[in-house]
Amino acid sequence: MKKSSDKSLNADQVCVGVVTGPHGLQGAVKIKSFTADPKDVAAYGPVTNKSGEQRFDIHVIRANKKGLVAELSGVNDRNAAEAVQGTELYVSRDKLPELDEDEFYYSDLIGLPVEHINGEEIGVVSLVDNYGAGEVMEVELKDGGTEMYLMSRDVVPEIDLENRRIVVNPPTEVYADKGHADEETEEEE
Amino acid sequence: MARSVWKGPFVDSYLLKKAEASRVSGRNDVIKTWSRRSTVLPQFVGLTFGVYNGRKFIPILVTENMVGHKLGEFSPTRTFLGHAADKKVVRE
Repeated sequence: MKKSSDKSLNADQVCVGVVTGPHGLQGAVKIKSFTADPKDVAAYGPVTNKSGEQRFDIHVIRANKKGLVAELSGVNDRNAAEAVQGTELYVSRDKLPELDEDEFYYSDLIGLPVEHINGEEIGVVSLVDNYGAGEVMEVELKDGGTEMYLMSRDVVPEIDLENRRIVVNPPTEVYADKGHADEETEEEE
Repeated sequence: MARSVWKGPFVDSYLLKKAEASRVSGRNDVIKTWSRRSTVLPQFVGLTFGVYNGRKFIPILVTENMVGHKLGEFSPTRTFLGHAADKKVVRE
C-alpha cells in the first residue's frame, strides 16, 4: 500500500474511497473502496471531499466485483452523480478505531523516518504490504534504492508514532548462490 | 499434471544447504535466493528467506501453513499498489 503523491495522507485525513461514476438514473454512484472491508467506507460516519467543502453520508446499497453501489446524501439524480465523479472521500483520522499496542495503521507508518539501531537515519517508509507471508515494510533509502524489512519485533524493535520514528535492526544477509548450485548439479549428474 | 509423489518435493540443493546451516547456527539471517521454484519444507519453518521477484528480495518468514507451497508464491512479480485507508499491521 503505497503512498501516492496525489492521495497523500496527512495526519488528519484518510482517503477511504473514490467515486468512480454514476449508477442508474436515481442518483446512485459507484464507489471504489480503499478500506480492508469495502463496505467499511461508510463505517466511519460522514465523509468529505479533499478540501472538506462537500460532506456526504454514504448508504451502501450493494457490493459487487467492481466495487460498491451507494447513495450519497445530497446526490439525488444522475446529473448530480456525474458531477461528483472522481471525488475522493476522506474521513478524519480520529474516526478510525483505537488499536492495540502492537497494531499500526498502514497510513500511520507510511512516510515515517527510519533509523538504524545504531542511531543513523537510513530512509523513509514508502510502502507497507502483505504478500501472504507476513507484513513487510519497504524503506526508501537516503542514498538511493530501497530495502524491505519484515515487520517483526526482531527486525523492527521500535515504532514510535508520537516522535515519528521507526528503528530497524537489519538482519544479516546470506546468499544462496546460484553459481554454486550449477556446479553441484553437474557433479551429481 | 501434478508432480509424481515418488520424487518427493523439489528444493534446490544449494538452498537446502543454506537453510540447514542457518537453522543449525540459530542466527536470524535472511537467506536471499532466486530459487522461486523451491518447495517450502517443514525444516524451513521459522527461517526468513529473501525471495527475488525480478526487482527486489521480498522477506518471507516461513510458517507452518506455508509448507508445501513454492517460495515464489509469496513474492509477487506484479505488484498492485493499493491504498492504505484502515488497513493495519500487527507486529509479531
